[in-house]
Amino acid sequence: MVGKCPTEGNDMTQYLLTVHHDYNKPANDADLEAYGDVAKFNETITDVQVFGGGLEAPHTATVVANRDGQIVMTDGPYLETKESVGGFWIIDVPDLDAALEIAGRATTACKAPVEVRPFESE
Amino acid sequence: MTQYLFSVVHDYVNNPPIADPVADAAMYERVGAFNESIKDQIVFMGGLHAPDAATTCNIANGEAIATDGPYTESKEIIGGLWVIEAATHDEAVELGKRASEACGGMVEVRPFQGV
Repeated sequence: MVGKCPTEGNDMTQYLLTVHHDYNKPANDADLEAYGDVAKFNETITDVQVFGGGLEAPHTATVVANRDGQIVMTDGPYLETKESVGGFWIIDVPDLDAALEIAGRATTACKAPVEVRPFESE
Repeated sequence: MTQYLFSVVHDYVNNPPIADPVADAAMYERVGAFNESIKDQIVFMGGLHAPDAATTCNIANGEAIATDGPYTESKEIIGGLWVIEAATHDEAVELGKRASEACGGMVEVRPFQGV
């Protein structure tokens, strides 16, 4: 896992590519195939990738909330849903078309829906 | 060190972006100070455009297709994130509390898988 600092002073936009993983589905051979395909896909985006990582399962999350000036912590994810973020990439590309081209290959590799959303510029 | 995701859960229905520029400016200042105080532990941080700027890609009949809009339509959705490095989950949660105070929102702390 490699993190690079956001680039500044160019016309590139950073996009978040979120993988929506179905945690109710038992692990199967397709998952193993997806791991291999994602590793291969990752090799093709090294020049535009700012960050990429897979998350531990949602139950490992802790939510921190500010309620009337009091910080309250709760174990578990904020949203208990069947599908949750399984991991994501952050890429730095010239425009949405370039981001979608990469996201199309990402969804093919990881066999799950991939949501593409731009970051605000600095 | 383990990497942790801090997702800022934002209520776009009741708190649309730029609804209150003065409050927003104060929030950006607090977040800036927080970032400065943990800069050695920040791997990435960024604020996202509103969910309506999202496009979702999926496979249909063996082909990747793109659809306008976010994958899930919900009132509260991620508005920005930090990726930070911390030695333990407790340390990450302590930083998560400060992140929550800085941004004035709810923060979900979740570890990345080790490499």
